[in-house]
Order: sequence, then structure tokens, then C-alpha cells
Amino acid sequence: MAEDLVLDTAIRDWVLIPLSVVMVLIGILRYFVSKLMRSSQVPDPKIVKEGQVIVRARNLRAGANFISPKSFRARRVYFCNEENGLLHVPKGQAQNAQAQMFSDPNMAMDMMKKNLSMIIPQTLTFAWVNFFFSGFVAAKIPFPLTQRFRSMLQNGIDLSTVDVSYVSSRSWYFLNLFGLRGLFSLILGEENATDDTQRMMQMSGFGFDPSKSLGAEKDSLDIIQHEWALPKFEQRAETVLKDLVG
Amino acid sequence: MVTKTEETQLNRLENQVDNGGGGAWEYLCLVKKLKVRRPDKVLRHGLSILNDPKKRSALGPDVWTLYEQVSIAAMDCQCLDVAKDCIKVLQKQFPESKRVGRLEGILLEAKGLWAEAEKAYSSLLEDNPLDPVLHKRRVAIAKAQGNFPTAIEWLNKYLETFMADHDAWRELAEIYVSLQMYKQAAFCYEELILSQPTVPLYHLAYADVLYTLGGVDNILLAKKYYASTIDLTGGKNTKALFGICLCSSAIAQLTKGRNKEDKESPELQSLAAAALEKDYKQRAPAKLLLLTSALKSLKTS
Repeated sequence: MAEDLVLDTAIRDWVLIPLSVVMVLIGILRYFVSKLMRSSQVPDPKIVKEGQVIVRARNLRAGANFISPKSFRARRVYFCNEENGLLHVPKGQAQNAQAQMFSDPNMAMDMMKKNLSMIIPQTLTFAWVNFFFSGFVAAKIPFPLTQRFRSMLQNGIDLSTVDVSYVSSRSWYFLNLFGLRGLFSLILGEENATDDTQRMMQMSGFGFDPSKSLGAEKDSLDIIQHEWALPKFEQRAETVLKDLVG
Repeated sequence: MVTKTEETQLNRLENQVDNGGGGAWEYLCLVKKLKVRRPDKVLRHGLSILNDPKKRSALGPDVWTLYEQVSIAAMDCQCLDVAKDCIKVLQKQFPESKRVGRLEGILLEAKGLWAEAEKAYSSLLEDNPLDPVLHKRRVAIAKAQGNFPTAIEWLNKYLETFMADHDAWRELAEIYVSLQMYKQAAFCYEELILSQPTVPLYHLAYADVLYTLGGVDNILLAKKYYASTIDLTGGKNTKALFGICLCSSAIAQLTKGRNKEDKESPELQSLAAAALEKDYKQRAPAKLLLLTSALKSLKTS
């Protein structure tokens, strides 16, 4: 069944290019709208402190070999002490983080705003694509696919014998959705609100972020073995000086 | 810490601008990015841009950051009228801004009105309890008044929240050293070494503090850190070389009678002395005699 379908070039002119252009423009529009709507976030003191604690614990891990064993151990106890160590999160508190996040009105509003700015244009564009650009083959994917993808990629085409490589415009929409991220970071600079995919990945793991990373840091600190590097330095200094003098 | 390339670039731009070439705006941007302190030059070139309405409009929205930069430089040079004018312009443009409020506070500091400045900062801090710059300005006020205990207290409170701020740790260490609280200073320097282990400056300062504390263990530790400084600077740091010689002689004195603990690096002292002599021969041959006699007395004692 490997006949080649000849696709009209008009499809390229009137479907593929306009769709991409429209998505780029919508992305830019969303970026500016989100910039306007962004309320200045008052940083929560506890979150700031936790962030800094994590950085300091990480520094401790990284530079552990440069300070004497006594000071390293003192610091490790300070961080990982069971009762009042900085990194120790009592069990009950860990679960509350997510519940607290949803009950905090400000954060909930913020998340809703961000979600809205993401969902509405996506839904609208998707509906528009389905309405106008369905029912015909839009493009051919250069590599062969299995039959499983048929339902996803060929929604408007009701012929079951067409090769799965011939897809409808819906798949072009999805391709653009994920692919234009790179283009946006070029045009709009690093931080742009069009990073939907990143946002979606972030949302799933949001609530546990602070307490989980604290626990992770504590575990890694507990594991670390202190191997003091300073004695080696004396010998290295000797060699350096020997080179310098001799 | 400014890297070598950035330093050469800065010097080049500075020369260019000082000798009448263009590029004042790039120079000012670089100064701001590197957080270097060059108040007189910033003031001179910044004012030359600001007083020229054509250049001012060419900057567009960046002109406000330039006003801020020039006002701080003016206060550094004690040209308080210039600073006041700049702040007035900024106030007109951004009436309720906390950045402008901060500048006003700094102006009060520059005038020496400590109480008013502290009041201004406290009220600003009520609205923004997490602004690091405001906290640090408060510490600066206490330090300028000579009130070191208060400065230490404020700085400690700041560090309880912002414990990854290595500039604050450095400031705290220097205050402790000036108050001769060497144990606490050693702790701060340890924090600095942890966060930036490859900066020889902190190793050197830590070694100095340890040597000052005294006691065989501390001096042994100090010797190790002098050695690490030598390693990190390729043997060019004179202070570290001297440190090694002093430590070795101090250890020899303190462990007289007990068996020598110097199994790790027996030649370090003689090598350091040789390196010092070579350095002095090159750079200060007049003082070479002084050096050799001093080293001899260290070795024999």
C-alpha cells in the first residue's frame, strides 16, 4: 500500500504556513498579555529561607573536603539534627504543603490566572483548527508509523486504507505547539509565558517542592563521607614551589 | 569577583572614555554589571550624558537607571546637591516607588542623619520585609556609627534568612576580626570557603585568623591553608609564603621536646624561604638583606 499521494501545493500555502504564523502571533500576544497581568509576587519569608537553606546545604556538600572534619561535622549536625536541624521536616508537615497551597487565596488566584492564560488560547486555536482545517490530508510525515497513531493523527480522514504517514492538520498543530518553544525563546528572550510544556511538567510536581527537596538534601548530607583534601594541598604546594624555585 | 577579561575590558573602556573617546554609556553599563566602585568616573561621565538632552533621549527608558547610578555615585563623592536633584527627578517619575525610597534613605545616610535614615529604612522594611538591600543598609548605618554589636546583631538576623549570601558572610567575618572575635570570624571564613573553595583570598584570611588564634592544632591547620593558598595562586602570594615560614617556626617552637609532627611536608619551609628570596631578588633587591636575616632568625628559633 505504498502509493504516493500527490498533495496539492495549495495545501502548503493555505494551511501549513498560515497555521504556523497564527500560532506564533498568538504566542507573542499571550506573552505580552501575561506580562501585563502579572501581579508582583510578594515572596514568602519561609520559602525564601528554605531556598537559601538548600543552597547553603548544597555548598556544604560541595566544599566539604575543604574544611576541617570537626567543623564539617558540626555543620552536618546543625543541618540534619533530628530535633531542630534545619533540613529536618517533621512528617506531618510534609503533606500539608500542597493543601496549604490550594487554600492560600493569593497563590490559588495566581495559578488560576496562569492556567487561564495557557488553556484558553490553546483551546480556541485547537477548535479553530478542527473547524476549518479538518477533513483532508495536510502533510506527509517522512518516517513510517504504526497503525496505532492513526486515530491520533488522522482525525478527519475517514479512510482506513490511507498510510498513517499522511496526517491531518491537527498533528501539524501539535507539532507547532511543541516545536515553537525554541523559536519563542529566540524572539522573546529567556523567560516567556509560552512555555506550556514546561509549565505542565511543573504543575504535576509542584506542591511537594519545598519539603521534598529539603528531605533530599538531608539524605545526601547524611550520606557524605568527609575526605579531607587539605593535607594533599601541602604536597601540591611543595611541588608548585619546587617548580618555581628550581 | 571580577574575572581577568572583564577587568581588562573595564580598564580599556575607562581609558577610552577618559581620553575623550566615546563609549561612556557602555562603560557605565559595565560598571553597573560588575558592581565595581568608581564613583568619580561614574559621576563625571554620567552627568555628561544626563546634562545633554539629546543623549538623554537617546537612552530611552534606561535613563532612569542612569539617574539612580549617578545619584549613588554622587553620594559616594559627597556631591549631595547633585544626588538630591537626581532623586527629585526620579521621585517625579516614580512617586510611590520603594527603589526611590531606598535612595532617599541612602541620601539621609550620606548627610549623616543616622536616626532619620534608620527610621526611613524601618518603615520601608515593614512593607518589604524581605528586601536584602534594605537590611544591608541598616547594617551599614550601625557600622558607620561605630556601633559594632548592633551591626553584628542585624547581620546575624539577616543571615538567618539569607544564609547563602556570601558577601554578607564576608562582611561579618571582617567585623569579627576588627573586634578580635577570632573564633566567630573563623566560622564565617569557613562558610566562605565552602561556598567558593577556589578563591585563594578566603583560604589566606582563614589561615591568618587561625594563626592568630594560636595553639598547635590551629597553627598546623593554618599551615595547611597557607599551603592551599600557594597552590591556588601558583606560588605567587608573598603573604602565604611568609605564613608558611612563620607557621613552621611556630610549630617547631611549640613542639620542642615532643617528636616532630612534620612528616607531611618537611621541605615546605625551605622551599617557601627560597621562593621568597627569589621573589625579593626580582622585585625589591634593596630589602633582600633584611629578608635573609629575618628568615635566618625564624629558622634558628
